[in-house]
Amino acid sequence: MMRVKTPPVVWRSRNHRYKLVGSKCKACGEVRFPPVHFCSCGGEVEEVELPRAGRLVSYSIVYAADEESRERSPVIMGLIDLGVTRVVAEIVDASPEEVHSGMQVEAVFRRIGEDGETGVIAYGIKFRPAVG
Amino acid sequence: MPKPEALTGIHGWGAYVPRARISMVDIARQWGWSDHQWKALGMIEKAVAAYDEDATTMGLEAAQNAVRRAGIKGEEVGAVFFGSESKPYAVKPSATIIAEALGITPVTMASDLEFACRAASEGMRASIGLIASGMLKYTLVVGSDTAQASPGDVLEFTASSGAAAFVLGRAEGAAAVFEGSYTYVTDTPDFWRREGAPYPSHGEGFTGEPAYFKHIMEAVKGLLSELGLRPSDFSHAIFHQPNGKFPVRVGEMLGFRQEQLKVGLVTPQIGNTYNASALIGFARVLDYAKPGERVLLAPFGSGAGSDAYSIVITDAIEGKKGLAPTVDHYIRAKRAISYSQYVKMRRMLVK
Amino acid sequence: MYVTRAVMEKIDRHYERGVKDLAAAVAKKALEGIDGVDYVLVASSLSYVQEPQLDLGAHIAYSLGLRGARAISVEAGEASGLAAVELAGALLKSKASRVLVIGVDKLTNFTSAETYAQLSLLYDEGVNMYSSGFGSVAGILMRLYMERYNVDRLTMAHWPALMHANAKHNPYAMLRFAIAPEKVLEAMPMADPITLMDSFPLGDGAAAILLESRPKEALAELAAVEAAVGHPNVAWSEDPLHIESLALAYGRLSEKHDLREVDVVELHDSFTITALMILESIGLAEKGKAAEAVASGRFSVNGDVAVNPSGGLKARGHPIGATGVYQVAEVALQLAGQFPGLKVEGARKGLAVSLNGFGSSSYVAYLRGVE
Repeated sequence: MMRVKTPPVVWRSRNHRYKLVGSKCKACGEVRFPPVHFCSCGGEVEEVELPRAGRLVSYSIVYAADEESRERSPVIMGLIDLGVTRVVAEIVDASPEEVHSGMQVEAVFRRIGEDGETGVIAYGIKFRPAVG
Repeated sequence: MPKPEALTGIHGWGAYVPRARISMVDIARQWGWSDHQWKALGMIEKAVAAYDEDATTMGLEAAQNAVRRAGIKGEEVGAVFFGSESKPYAVKPSATIIAEALGITPVTMASDLEFACRAASEGMRASIGLIASGMLKYTLVVGSDTAQASPGDVLEFTASSGAAAFVLGRAEGAAAVFEGSYTYVTDTPDFWRREGAPYPSHGEGFTGEPAYFKHIMEAVKGLLSELGLRPSDFSHAIFHQPNGKFPVRVGEMLGFRQEQLKVGLVTPQIGNTYNASALIGFARVLDYAKPGERVLLAPFGSGAGSDAYSIVITDAIEGKKGLAPTVDHYIRAKRAISYSQYVKMRRMLVK
Repeated sequence: MYVTRAVMEKIDRHYERGVKDLAAAVAKKALEGIDGVDYVLVASSLSYVQEPQLDLGAHIAYSLGLRGARAISVEAGEASGLAAVELAGALLKSKASRVLVIGVDKLTNFTSAETYAQLSLLYDEGVNMYSSGFGSVAGILMRLYMERYNVDRLTMAHWPALMHANAKHNPYAMLRFAIAPEKVLEAMPMADPITLMDSFPLGDGAAAILLESRPKEALAELAAVEAAVGHPNVAWSEDPLHIESLALAYGRLSEKHDLREVDVVELHDSFTITALMILESIGLAEKGKAAEAVASGRFSVNGDVAVNPSGGLKARGHPIGATGVYQVAEVALQLAGQFPGLKVEGARKGLAVSLNGFGSSSYVAYLRGVE
């Protein structure tokens, strides 16, 4: 078991992981999630909450999931266009047959992992198909 | 001097029901139950939380909806009460996670409450005191459960997952205002889960007459007599809904008509969401209620106790209904799963 | 500067040997009859997780009997090997005249599931926080490629088939058997549309090259190495199928050197889609046309340009931090006419292309034959 979600890590990531907070360049407006310290244009950045609705650009049905994720395999991972930027995130509440490129998705707050069976729980943002 | 209830109202409400549904037929088939056995429960299907959902994640989505309807900023909330009997952590609050994600931290009260299915309701009644006293401006009350049931137990047909949340504040500008509240508790061991036990135990028929019926009847009767009201004074009545039959029967016993119960009865479609059971029903009533209507709400928790509230809808409700997804939105947004998917999603497979 | 020695171990599940054992095996041969080196550079990556040893370069140098030598550890994920070669080049231009570069890595101390989980560390937090599996991003990119360019799955399977056909002749390759493209589709799904046959086998390996500034004789000239960092998260690329860091590194190299009519390329095909993206990002194929070009034989040993005659990461193997050193060794041996597998006859110009993930960093080495 490779421990990557230890209490300090989970704790200091809570702001951007819980609220889908990214960085936005004060000079050129470029948005990134997870947030970066400087924009690639060299500009300074500020925190910004990202839009919670987007479009699925592409996806993969992951069968060889990590040990930690085996019990929920297959895991669907998607590339999502939020307009202001794109993010890679897990797609939930859909079977592989229900997922297709171009579908509308919306952000949800879910468990993203655990520090072992008795360790802390990590939470973060995933996306599910939008229902009109 | 006015009663504390009259100074307090509901500014926002929200619900959450996970999308997956398993039908009673599928569960019955798994254990060889005949149709009439499960039909006696008055259930059609139940909602199942995904592998990565827990009482906290579901509670947060309901709370997001409630805060959206309240139209307030996170930092205006002075207390978060999280009622659950399926806390992801035995020790460590879920309330702080929800408070953090909503921007309510750090200057706030926050705690998890436990009283089987009525813990969140205790948070609601305590909020009335905190707000009416002027101590806090707003409180957030969340009831959320991923109800556990031992495979093959009758509880497996009903125990489901869902959440409801309410933003309470001063009566001014509220969508609904409290009129009175009443609590009735005794030490009655009808249903429990021991420390470390994965599934709850229950006393079968003992959960009925001496527990569910006795406590709800006493709480509602106490409230009605205190307020001088009769069942016919209410447009809607919502009782705790462990299955589709109990709330209908307790309503009848108290003198309520079927139509008064109809809007708030959601268990047949989604199952018993424990701490959210009566509260999702109440959220649905708020989705439909009209200004001037009076609502009776009576949650129940094993162990045992019941609260009864009388709530009057105000003109402000119409402007809030469209600000977040309705209970019906969540009831409709469903996908069918098999029994084996249900077992996998609820992490009941042993690695 | 010149490559004067090139030594490789067969990539395999070397259960009986640890990082130091593997490094010693190649270094000993590379240093045979050599009277000392100025620097020892040790490229390794996953071993820091699988067989944790900090200051690995010094530990390995000492284990080789090189007490008093200067040693540096180089870690740049999958690009570690070529990063070490770049650093060696810089040292040769300034203060050193002879540098030993060792690439060594260990991937078999854990189960495959654990190893794949560790390999997720190659990616950005934005991806690996989901613990969704090593193939996730590659799967997303492969579907994007197929849907955008309307390329079918079978056409893309010609890449692994070509790699296996080449590796069959390479004594240092891990997978020395041919496969039909159809077999790729029948293999275990990894990250649909990717199957296990689209990715590299998990094997340990070590390679060493000796670089010298003024040798009496050499296998090949190391003309230049260029590098660039790029998006660590594919979500941030303007075009996720274009490897910006690689195009940048390649562009810097081609400004100073005539890279037309390159004869042999060893590139980083961590997945089938990575190979196609690299071919298109450095202009060896038009956008959306790489898969067809592979299927048509353009990159076979007797095609326009021989790509991965070693069998590539796919079939030769990919001991993460060591791979770049293998690539340089292979290209140098091809240019010297001494590669023990499929030979690229009369090869004069060669490239080694390495990157981490999908281009958080990219490195390109340009090698020329010597008379």
